[in-house]
Amino acid sequence: MTERLLALVVVAASGAYLLSAWPLPHGTTARPGAGFFPLMVGAFGAVMAVVWTVSAFRRPAAVSGPAEPGAPVEGFGRVVATAGSLVGFCLVLPYAGYPVAALVFTAVLLRWLGAGWRSALVIGLASAALSYYLFGIVLSVPLPRGVLFD
Amino acid sequence: MGPIEGLLYGFSIALTPGNLFACFIGVLVGTIVGILPGIGPVGAMALLLPSTFALQPATALIMLAGIYYGAMYGGSTTSILVNVPGEAASVVTAIEGYQMTRKGRAGAALTVAGAGSFVAGSLGVIGIVLASAWLAEQALRFGPPEYFAMALAGLLLLSRLSGGSVLQAFVLVAIGLALGTVGMEPISAVRRFTFGSTQLSQGIELVPVIMGLYGVAEVLLIAEVGAKRALIASVKLRELLPTRQEWRQSAGPIARGSVVGFFTGLIPGPAGVLSTFIAYALERKVSKTPERFGHGAIEGVAGPEAANNGATAGAMVPLLSLGIPFSPATAILLSALVITGIQPGPLLISQRPEVFWGVVASMYVGNILLLILNLPLVGLFVSVLRLPQHVLATLILLLCLVGAYSLNNSQLDLWVLVGFGIFGYGLRKLAIDPSPLVVALVLGPMMEKTLRQSLFMTRGSFVDILSRPLTMTLLLLGLAAVVAPWVIRRVRGAPVVSLPDAIR
Repeated sequence: MTERLLALVVVAASGAYLLSAWPLPHGTTARPGAGFFPLMVGAFGAVMAVVWTVSAFRRPAAVSGPAEPGAPVEGFGRVVATAGSLVGFCLVLPYAGYPVAALVFTAVLLRWLGAGWRSALVIGLASAALSYYLFGIVLSVPLPRGVLFD
Repeated sequence: MGPIEGLLYGFSIALTPGNLFACFIGVLVGTIVGILPGIGPVGAMALLLPSTFALQPATALIMLAGIYYGAMYGGSTTSILVNVPGEAASVVTAIEGYQMTRKGRAGAALTVAGAGSFVAGSLGVIGIVLASAWLAEQALRFGPPEYFAMALAGLLLLSRLSGGSVLQAFVLVAIGLALGTVGMEPISAVRRFTFGSTQLSQGIELVPVIMGLYGVAEVLLIAEVGAKRALIASVKLRELLPTRQEWRQSAGPIARGSVVGFFTGLIPGPAGVLSTFIAYALERKVSKTPERFGHGAIEGVAGPEAANNGATAGAMVPLLSLGIPFSPATAILLSALVITGIQPGPLLISQRPEVFWGVVASMYVGNILLLILNLPLVGLFVSVLRLPQHVLATLILLLCLVGAYSLNNSQLDLWVLVGFGIFGYGLRKLAIDPSPLVVALVLGPMMEKTLRQSLFMTRGSFVDILSRPLTMTLLLLGLAAVVAPWVIRRVRGAPVVSLPDAIR
């Protein structure tokens, strides 16, 4: 299942890539232009992706990955939660600012992955503060401070 | 500069306080990430790359290289003590190493692993010096067609050797090459695939891609399995000494492993992992008592542990002499070089001797530091494993996020990180090795440039490019690697197994 999904995503991506490579100036083989190499890569990728997809669908759907002991559904839930928190962090960072986004990210994720509320909050506060100090102040990375602190 | 004065000069650079400290930090971080599941040497190097921007080129490389080979030491520690390999190149060590622990010989296994790594690392330094000097001299005569053929043959070999199916590896190569074309095209300054975004016109950064594929993806896997605690055997200092017989049994495997490892490292592919499998199989073959294997044979620790360190040394050769990386780890070293303003290639040795000799000598220094760090302090390092996994997972993710952002202070790198993290998780579930994507992303721009230069030189004739002796040899080699198993299957009617499977 995972393989078929992934293969289809790659087919779509290579199609989109080829479409946007088409209008670039190709030049000739003696004077290749900016679109020459992308066109070759796109064609190669599209062919490979299609072959992969076909072979993935012809094979009987394999069990994806080694079966983990315990509850697999619960495990996948944790993966979705983790990926979701990552996406959430990226979305709120420009508005909430780094300190708040980092605190919420770590605390919520720790809670989801099995920590108690209190330890999630404490570790979240500590890691947000420490990482802000290290990157934002010591290494002077202009981390977004967010609407609260600006 | 001859090899001996070169090395002496290298030591004078590697032993300056700043570089010694960088080396120490590198091997310390390497040991820790080697022990920890969830982040390997590649992810850690990507994480620390931004912090090296302000450093001297030699210092930056010394630190990053330290992580690379330091992880080989740390990985073996957990393989032996808890049967949990901290990274892929230590999987084989667990087979015999953990059995030795169960018999109460954990200390001996650790010492032999350390000694094997040290010997292989030291021999590897000599190998790098000899091979790089020779290769760099040859490379001065290479033109664009040769470089293009070398990169293409490397990608073909890598696709064959990286474990899964060649088809899947080719798809990854195509994705990597395609990502490498995003941004401002260097020859005619055309913007490609940028969709009007100024951030995209600077191209897709390697580091967030690697952090995603090797850091975030790994953490997602940990999250799936859930919390697990390892049972940790404690080792007393007195037990660290192997018996005389154990030393005698290890000497041969260490020597063979060092050589096998170094040469495996020269070949594009997952050399660290592959070399350990080859060394293990070799030791079982040459052993007079093969029945001891699987029940704690010390040769099965000594050989592979020497091999994976030899392989890290071997993998440095194409990077330092040609400026071509064939593995994700050396790809990061290359970006560190480029970021600090150094032109990688065959002229590196003569134009920036302090970088070449300094890094090579530091590998020797680093191996001594690792020996000191790892053996007496082994208990301390292993206690890192007592950190609960969900805390570790969360902290790694936060570090990846802030690290990716700090590269260019751009939101784009964050999305690249998360996107490739999820993509990498899918690949892991399918047991597909992501390294062809990473290497193709790094080699892509160079391949495009050299291909266009070659076509320009030959007025558009592919035949002229192919008929140069070296390009033809290289491409035939790459092609042979890809089609050989298929041909053998046709002839013999036997199923094809990939190399690690065959050795298992």
